[in-house]
Amino acid sequence: MSIFHKIYEDLQHVCYIWRREMQQVVKDEGILIFFLVVPIAYPLLYSWIYNNETVHEVPVCVVDMSNTGLSREFVHKCDASPDVRIAYYAQDLDEGISLVSRQLVKGIYFIPPDFETNILRMKQGVISVYCDMSLMLTYKAIYQTSMLVSMDMGKAIQTKLSGLYTSREEAISTKPLEYEDVPIFNPKGGYGSFVLPAVLMLILQQTLVLGIGLSAGTAREENPLGALVPVGDKRYESSFAIVLGKALVYFMIYAVMGAWLVAGVPRLFHFPQLATWQSLLTIMLPYTLACIFFGIVVSCLVKYRENVMLIMVFASVPMLFLTGISWPQNNIPGWLQGVSWIFPSTFGARAYVRVNSMGATLHDVLTEYRILWIHAGAYFLLAVAVYRYQILRGRHYAKERLMFLKRNKEARQEEGVG
Amino acid sequence: MKHLRQIYHIMLRELSILRNNYIYPFCMVVFPLGVMIFFTSLMEDGLPTEMPIGIVDVDNTTTTRALIRRLDAFQMSRITHSYASVAEARKAIQNNEIYGFLYFPKGTTEKLLASRQPKISYYYSYTTLAAGALLMRDLKTISTLGSAAVGQATMRAKGFTPEQIQTFLQPIKIDLHQIANPWTSYNSYLSTMIVPGMMMLFIFLITAYSLGTELKFNSSKQWLEMADNNITVALIGKLLPQTIIWLAVVYSYQYYVFFHLGFPHLGSPWMLVLLGLMQVLASQGFGVFAFGLLPSLRMSMSVCSLWAVLSISMAGSAFPVMDMDRPLQSLSWLFPLRHYYMIYQTCVFNGFPLIESWFHFAALAGFLLLPWMVVKKIKNAMLTYVYIP
Repeated sequence: MSIFHKIYEDLQHVCYIWRREMQQVVKDEGILIFFLVVPIAYPLLYSWIYNNETVHEVPVCVVDMSNTGLSREFVHKCDASPDVRIAYYAQDLDEGISLVSRQLVKGIYFIPPDFETNILRMKQGVISVYCDMSLMLTYKAIYQTSMLVSMDMGKAIQTKLSGLYTSREEAISTKPLEYEDVPIFNPKGGYGSFVLPAVLMLILQQTLVLGIGLSAGTAREENPLGALVPVGDKRYESSFAIVLGKALVYFMIYAVMGAWLVAGVPRLFHFPQLATWQSLLTIMLPYTLACIFFGIVVSCLVKYRENVMLIMVFASVPMLFLTGISWPQNNIPGWLQGVSWIFPSTFGARAYVRVNSMGATLHDVLTEYRILWIHAGAYFLLAVAVYRYQILRGRHYAKERLMFLKRNKEARQEEGVG
Repeated sequence: MKHLRQIYHIMLRELSILRNNYIYPFCMVVFPLGVMIFFTSLMEDGLPTEMPIGIVDVDNTTTTRALIRRLDAFQMSRITHSYASVAEARKAIQNNEIYGFLYFPKGTTEKLLASRQPKISYYYSYTTLAAGALLMRDLKTISTLGSAAVGQATMRAKGFTPEQIQTFLQPIKIDLHQIANPWTSYNSYLSTMIVPGMMMLFIFLITAYSLGTELKFNSSKQWLEMADNNITVALIGKLLPQTIIWLAVVYSYQYYVFFHLGFPHLGSPWMLVLLGLMQVLASQGFGVFAFGLLPSLRMSMSVCSLWAVLSISMAGSAFPVMDMDRPLQSLSWLFPLRHYYMIYQTCVFNGFPLIESWFHFAALAGFLLLPWMVVKKIKNAMLTYVYIP
């Protein structure tokens, strides 16, 4: 047999496996949920949840014991700020606390009786800010607003005290060194713009792994011997052909889903998108391949089709934290960094966030890019190896089954003779 | 009496199922506790520390260097690189070397001494929100300090007292009280929502899984027979051993987190006991309901997992529910974790009385009662359905 003939035959097997797998995917609603419904619907849902991006008009209660011009000015200015809304005026701190306990307000501004008196006596006026710490974003809004307003009012007081002649002098004396605050790459500090890119990448990996796992579980359950690959079928003899044929199906589906996830959703919901399509494509290719082969490896480990759900679904949340988006990468303990190297999502999300949200070039994410290719290659070889093992095991099962049947037959014959 | 005996026998049967399938010990004990260890050790320090930042010091004088040294002394940031230009530093952020940088343009000190109000800038990336927000705080503090230092020097030279200087520089002082979490610890803020959320996920899934596998392994008729076809008895007998294991897991989480690690809890320990009980029962109720609604192993498990993963976002501890769109605010009621979180933060974290979150308590009780609507359907399924792979 010539080598070309062999290659041709292998290609035919790949195509056959591709067709069988495609049929199975299309007719199995469980797989379709994870391959089509979840990747399409989940990003929409998440985008909707985080659509408003930032917190505005956090309700706050004021306890104004001072009740003077300056204290009222403070309250008005806080109320006029975008992030805080003065929802209630309480008589004393206890009443304020009871408002917090009923979830009506998230914090209290307490202005003591001697607030204005102190300032007029050229002493520091103190305002106490009590924050409900169960929500970091509201805490930030309440605290920062009070800081900004107090600095703004402080400047006016300074100007009056200093007795200078020109407004320029006043500006310099209150702020000799001016500074500018420049948030870059997600200028409004939106929650969705920050978390969603990583979530999108994770959805891609997790749905792929779940779908592949379900499909492998079904194959195993439909097989009379409980083996992953049909025994005795000549077309299922090469583990290369099996892995390639299956991967081709998943790749075709996820070429579309991936485009929707990384290009469609951010555009639809106006999340930052600085990447060119070329660089997106360059990253997504190794990432999708790595996820597919990772999924195939995982799928060989599950015995029943539903078990993959039990193992993979919960892992999504720790995986999201391992990407270093929510919790800074340099603060992840070493052993967890080691764990994070197992998953393609860690590097996929890092590369995607930097390219897409921060406008990095391919050169900037070279480390991640290389690791993704290494992942793709390593998981491919591993997938081939586990399929090789599955084929051998399938044969072993078949042989055992055959021996068992033979023995039964002999026993029956002996009985017949006896 | 007869029912009790039946329940006892079904419980024994369930225990042997739990022992013989390796997935149960893993999903009921190993993974939930593993997730707990994962999150509490990930955020062990409470706040991120030593985040790498860069410096673009074009001015390069003793004044700017003194400021840089002070910034380096801050706990949260560590100066790792210095760059020649802003473009280079921006590149370094894209390159994942640093999270932000401080920029001193040429002539900063000179203008400062000549009272010509120079301008410095600090840049930070909000693509990692927590890191960005915390660095912003440090960078802003150092810039304010820089500004204040100049005024301080001038005033001291003119002979003002330190108190007068303090008053002049900051006429209104904000006295911040961070109730129950004065360290702004992200560990006690995030872990206390995510870990219970993950435990709920396991309870949902395992409940649906254990019911569905009765169909799958074709043992449902035998199971119902043991209860004389009384589905309530059958369900109680089956779920009770799981309830006990879940309670043990949830209580060990609470012990570990609130007593061993000492996370803040102003509420009484009895509140924790009650909350743990409601968490387990409501989640089991939801699991049974999901299975009753779609009595097939795969569909009910899909529903459970999708719901549980969504509930992490819908609990509203990271992004508040009150700032989501209106329809989502109502939809959040459908997630047990949302109610758990509300009770937790009101009655445990802040230590207010239970009456303040009676609604959420009632909602959890409602989840517990949900199976009542579908028991008939479950019975029907167990007796007539055939598992199709």
